[in-house]
Amino acid sequence: MTTSIRPAKKALAPSAPVKTTRAGLTEIVAPYAYIAPFFVLFAIFGLIPLLFTFYVALFDWNPIGEHVFVGLDNFTRLLQDGRFWNAARNTVSIWVLSTVPQLLVALVLAHLLNHVRLRFAVLFRMSMLVPYITSVAATAIVFAQMFDRDYGLLNWLLGLVGIGPIDFIQSVAGSHALIAVMITWRWFGYTALLYLASLQAVPRTIYEAAAVDGAGNVRQFLHISIPALRPVIVFTIVTSTIYGLQTFTEPLLIARSAPSTCGPIRQCQTLTLFLFEQGFTQFKFGYAAAIGVALFVMVVAFAALNYFLSTRTRPERA
Amino acid sequence: MKFRKVSAVVFAATATLSMAACSGSSSGTSSGGSDGSSFEFWSFTGINAKGSAAEYKKIKPNVQIKLTEVGNAQETAQALTTALAGGKVPDLVLIQGDDLPKFVQQPQNFVDLRTMGADKIKGDYLDWVISQPTAKDGSIIGIPTDVGGMAIAYRTDLFKEAGLPTDREEVGKLWPTWDAFIETGKKYTAATGKAFLDNASTSIYSQVVNQGQEKYYDPAGNLVYDKSPQVKAAFDEALKAVAAGITAKQSSFTDGWSAAMKKGDFAVVAAPVWLLGAIRDNAPDTKGKWDIATIPGGSGNWGGSFLAIPKGAKNPKAAWEYIAATQSPQGQLDHFAQARSLPATPSVYKDPKLTSVKDPFFSGAPIGTIYTNSLLGLKPFLIGPDSTTIGTEFGNAIQNVEQGKGDPAKAWDAAVTNIKNAIGG
Repeated sequence: MTTSIRPAKKALAPSAPVKTTRAGLTEIVAPYAYIAPFFVLFAIFGLIPLLFTFYVALFDWNPIGEHVFVGLDNFTRLLQDGRFWNAARNTVSIWVLSTVPQLLVALVLAHLLNHVRLRFAVLFRMSMLVPYITSVAATAIVFAQMFDRDYGLLNWLLGLVGIGPIDFIQSVAGSHALIAVMITWRWFGYTALLYLASLQAVPRTIYEAAAVDGAGNVRQFLHISIPALRPVIVFTIVTSTIYGLQTFTEPLLIARSAPSTCGPIRQCQTLTLFLFEQGFTQFKFGYAAAIGVALFVMVVAFAALNYFLSTRTRPERA
Repeated sequence: MKFRKVSAVVFAATATLSMAACSGSSSGTSSGGSDGSSFEFWSFTGINAKGSAAEYKKIKPNVQIKLTEVGNAQETAQALTTALAGGKVPDLVLIQGDDLPKFVQQPQNFVDLRTMGADKIKGDYLDWVISQPTAKDGSIIGIPTDVGGMAIAYRTDLFKEAGLPTDREEVGKLWPTWDAFIETGKKYTAATGKAFLDNASTSIYSQVVNQGQEKYYDPAGNLVYDKSPQVKAAFDEALKAVAAGITAKQSSFTDGWSAAMKKGDFAVVAAPVWLLGAIRDNAPDTKGKWDIATIPGGSGNWGGSFLAIPKGAKNPKAAWEYIAATQSPQGQLDHFAQARSLPATPSVYKDPKLTSVKDPFFSGAPIGTIYTNSLLGLKPFLIGPDSTTIGTEFGNAIQNVEQGKGDPAKAWDAAVTNIKNAIGG
């Protein structure tokens, strides 16, 4: 904090020398006041609930009954709970299945959209955002219908070529793939635009020089676009990790027969959905809070790992 | 000076914001009068709560009802939980039977309606229904508004194609027991090559398990779900239906279930009275092709709701007057005539107003008689804090076998393990 206000003080000092103590006080207080709205709101809606979650996790907490202090019992139970590890596995599996294709598709698309001779570039660039602005719930409902075992479009098409109906939603692999498709569909356009924005900062002359040297489209992509995008790629991996660990709406809405477990054998129950099930259908707030804390630790760990890897693999400056 | 003004404004704004946020839970206490002539009522969407409130206004024109349709039944229960935890509660709230147990476990959150006069009217209601909102300490926290009742809705046109009788009396005689029901299903499937029943977990397990005297708890409150013969019998009966290959494997209320109903991909569904409305809305083209027959075992119930008054209510008296006026046997009978919600008060079951109701969508079936008959054989059993969880896990285990993923021989043990895990026992 202090380092950030000092330059401002220095900059102001020559033109308006501090004379009265009142004016001096204002200058000291004002910067804090400007940033206060964010930090006050963050404290109310972010930090305090977060700390309160840590507190609740130490209790057997019935929202309309007793709150019994149990120490770390919720956590020891959680570590032995097969449902927790199942949810963790599902979450990681869905995250990998959705992030990898999404980033690859976005990379290639961004490269193509950056092409000089592309016509209607704005139309293509804008239309990629349509999935992103579509409501997640609507997406989930439509995709679940398309992937339905008996009446879905996809199984009808598969049936035409003689492949028997596949029950996507009831199987582990199928439900993960379905959710991954939804997440990929929703985010690829947004990610591609991030890449595109970054690519446009790369001078055209580099591509032209490469073309003159005989580098084709693929070589240009591998040797110019990807190195130029490295910081943005790291950023998108970090954000998609954080979003991926919090996947909730899609699994909640695809298995209507058992929504809060995403199916009878919890085949696609993610960590956040497990938290929701424990907290808001079973009303075990203490246990749900412990899941929240575990999720928090995982997100921090993943973010730290990403940071570590990204600083390690930074390209040498030429 | 300019800076100072701006910062003062910013400070004021943030201070107001933070104060508003902190005092959110207590600011409500000053609003709303407690003059006894108005009360706040939380109900569900989709059950025409506005109509009921308007009816009441006709009897009591000077009473103001502040009605909120919170959401569906589950969302209303979640909102009530939050409200009870936060302290700002409505005067009257509707709770669905499935959500009731967790509130009955914590009766201190509600007005004991015996203090308002529930003792005098509790004899009006079916004993196994009024036992549900009765807490361990004897306090009564809710008054039943309706019950589900159970019957089998079947497609007469599809039965005819399969060479089965279509008359509702004869159809009822086809299946005095669940075994006979499954045998009928086999005949249907053999004749048509199509599924007979929508699914095994809802249409068989949930029905059979409710026809006993003991479910997941014994009368003393001990967990007996893994030992109770009724539970095991219900589970095995459902697996028998799965093994017979007569189910369409469509879990209730999924998209596939709705689509299959429209297309006639199953001929039979176990239907509580409120499901008839869903069939009507879901498959309007099948009008006149349905009929209703007695359920195997003769009795059953699924659903029903209760009106409760939270402890912190500011107008408990006005809320109780509403309950007393609208939930009397006569009040429930009038409501059945209007909205087809089945009375929980057996004294009106022979009333011509109830017995004369016939439904053209279901080939003119006398729904009042059929459904109230299904309610008379039921016994009260103890519903405990984990009843819903246990029921869900057993249902999931059956679904898993039905969808072809689980081994039927291991399903029971798997379900019991999952339940132990889930309830932390």
